Amino acid sequence: MPRADFITGLVLILLGVAVVWASLDMPRFEERNANPYTAPGLVPGLLGAIILALGAILFVRAARAGGWRLAWPAARHGTGDPGVRRAALSIALCLLYAGGLVGTVPFWLATFLFITTFVILFEWPLATDRADRARRLAFAPLLAAVIAVGVTALFQYVFLVRLP
Amino acid sequence: MLGQALLGFMTVDALLAVTWATLLGIAVGALPGLTATLGVALMTTLTFKMAANDAILILICMYIGAIYGGSRSAILLNIPGTPANAATTLDGFPLARRGEAGRAMGIATTGSFLGSMIGILFLATIAPVLAEFALDFGAFEFFWLAVFGIMICGHLTALDDPIKGWISGFLGLLVAMVGQEGVHAYPRFAYGSTDLAGGIGLLPALVGAFGFSEVLIVMKERAAETVRSATDRVLPKLEDLTRYWRTIIRSGVIGTTMGILPGVGEDMGAWASYAAARRASREREKFGKGSVEGLMAAETGNNAAVPGAIIPVLTLAVPGSAPAAVLLAAMFIHGVRPGPLIMIEFPTFIFAVVAMCVLATFGILIFGLLLTRPLLYVLAVPRERLMPVIFVLCTIGSFAIASRVFDIWIMLAFGILGLVLREMRYPMAPLVLGLVLGPILDTSLRRGLVLSDGSPIPFLIRPISLVLWVTIAITVLLSFRRIRTTLAGLLPWRGSREEISKEAPKG
Repeated sequence: MPRADFITGLVLILLGVAVVWASLDMPRFEERNANPYTAPGLVPGLLGAIILALGAILFVRAARAGGWRLAWPAARHGTGDPGVRRAALSIALCLLYAGGLVGTVPFWLATFLFITTFVILFEWPLATDRADRARRLAFAPLLAAVIAVGVTALFQYVFLVRLP
Repeated sequence: MLGQALLGFMTVDALLAVTWATLLGIAVGALPGLTATLGVALMTTLTFKMAANDAILILICMYIGAIYGGSRSAILLNIPGTPANAATTLDGFPLARRGEAGRAMGIATTGSFLGSMIGILFLATIAPVLAEFALDFGAFEFFWLAVFGIMICGHLTALDDPIKGWISGFLGLLVAMVGQEGVHAYPRFAYGSTDLAGGIGLLPALVGAFGFSEVLIVMKERAAETVRSATDRVLPKLEDLTRYWRTIIRSGVIGTTMGILPGVGEDMGAWASYAAARRASREREKFGKGSVEGLMAAETGNNAAVPGAIIPVLTLAVPGSAPAAVLLAAMFIHGVRPGPLIMIEFPTFIFAVVAMCVLATFGILIFGLLLTRPLLYVLAVPRERLMPVIFVLCTIGSFAIASRVFDIWIMLAFGILGLVLREMRYPMAPLVLGLVLGPILDTSLRRGLVLSDGSPIPFLIRPISLVLWVTIAITVLLSFRRIRTTLAGLLPWRGSREEISKEAPKG
C-alpha cells in the first residue's frame, strides 16, 4: 500500500495543481458586471486545492512509510495470477464490445458476437472432455442469439429506444 | 392519508407490478454481480415511459427486493449478493453448512421484513416533520449539508483510513464540476466537446461503478463453493423471534439511522447493527459461528436502512445510499421534485412512497418464505454465462437514458475506475455521493457568498450551519488516531467493522 499510496499521492497533487490552474483560467465575467463570487472557477478551484492538500498528506504519509523505495512485488506476480488474467480478458472483451462494436455494427450482431466469444473463451478451460466441450461450444451461440434478439426486441419495441 | 395511499395501490395492475418487480429484485439481489444499485438503475431506464407513481413503485420494489435477495447467496454461497449482505455471510453460511440453510433463510426473511417495517415507521413519522424543518434550510445550510454528507460518508465507509474516503468524495465532487454550470452556463472542463459540456450523467456513472465493476470483480474471483440444498424447515420458529425482540428493535433503529446519513447505506446498517448486537449479546461467543441473533441483526439492519435512505431523498433531495441516489434521479426524471418543498408541491407523495414500501415489504415476506426452493435454481447459473448478459444490460441501460453513445463511455470509465479504486481500498460510495452533491455544493456556496457579500460569518453562526460544521470538525478530529485513543481511554465504547471482521473466523 505505501508504494501505491506514494504514486496516488503524487498523481493527486498533480491533478490538484492542474485543476486550480484551469480554474484560475476560467472567465470571471467582469464585463457583464457579474458578482465575483459567482465565478465559474470558484468551486473547482477550491476542490482542486483540497485534493492537492489531501494528495500531499497521502504522499508524505507514504513517503514516511518507505513508499519511495519499496519494490513492487504485485507487478511481478500480477500477470501470473489467474484472477488478474480473467479480469484483464473480461475488460478487453467488454471494451471491444461497448467501445468498438456497439455503434459500428447493428446492436443485435454486436451482442451476439460478444456473448458467444465471452462464453466460449471462459468456458473452454472448464470443459472436462471433448463431448462436454462440444456441448459448451454449441450452447454459447444459442444463448447469445436468444439474448441478442430478446434484448434488442425488448428495448426497440417495448421501451421504444432507438438502438445505437 | 396513508390509508388512502394504500387503497390507491390496491388495483390488479399495481399488485401485479409489485409481484414481478419484487421477484425480479430478489433475483437481482441474489445473483452476485448484480447489485441493488444496478437493478434500480436498469429499471429506471425500463420504466422511463411509465407514469411517475407506477415507475417509483417498481423501483422501490426492486430496491427492497434486492437488499433482501442478497441474503440468499450470502447464506448459500458465502458470497454476499449485494454489499449490504456482507455481514450476513458471517453467520448465515455457517448455519447453512450445519444443515440449517432453510432456517437461516427464514430468519433472514423475517428479519428483513421487520427491519423494513421499522424503517417505514420512521419514514412515515420523521419525513413530513423533517421536510417542514428543511424549509428553514438556505444556501448556507445546503452548502454545509453537502460537505457534511461527503465527510461523514467518507469517514464511515473507510473507517481504517478516512483520508481515502474523503479523497474519493472530493474526486466525486470534482467530476460533478464537468459540464455547464448553473449560474452563467459556462461549460467547465469541456475543452470544446459538446458531450463533456453536457456533463457526466449520474445513471451511466452508477451503472459503471456498481454494474460493470461488479462484473469484473466476479470474473476475477474464483468460482464459489455452494450449499445448494435446503431441506430443513423454512418458516422461522416463533421463539427465534420473541427471544431476540430487543435485537430486532435495536437493529431496526440503527439501520434506519445509518440509512438517513447521506451516502452511508445498507451495508453500514448491517455492520453497525451486527456490531451492536454482538456487544449486547449474552451469547457473544456464537457470533461468527452460526448465531441466529447475529444473522437476525444483520438482515434487520440492512433492510431498515432502505426506508431510512429514502427519508433524506424525499425531504432534502440528498441520497441516503447509492440505490437511493438512483431513486432520486428517477424521481426528477418523472417530474417529482423531492426536497424541502415536497410537502407543499407534492403533499401526498411521501405517503404514496410509504405505501409502496409497505407493499414491497409484504412482497419480500411472502415470496421469501414461499419460494425458497425455486430461488435456489437462480443461484445455479454459471457466472461465465451470466456476466456477459449483465454487461449487455449495463451497456444498453446506460445508452437508453439519453441515447448518447458518450454515456456508454462514461459507464466503461467508471467501471474501470471502480475496479481500480476497490483494489486500492478506496470506497466507491463517497465518489458517487460527490457526483450527486456536487451541483448542490457549487450553487449553494456561490449563492451564499453573494448573499453574505463574501463574509464567512453567516456560514458559521446560523444555527443549523453551526451544528453541521461543528459535526464535520468533530468527524475530522476523530480521524486522528491520537485523539481517538485518548477518548477510548476515557469512554468504555469500542467496536467497529474491522474489529468485528478481524475477530470473526473466516468461512
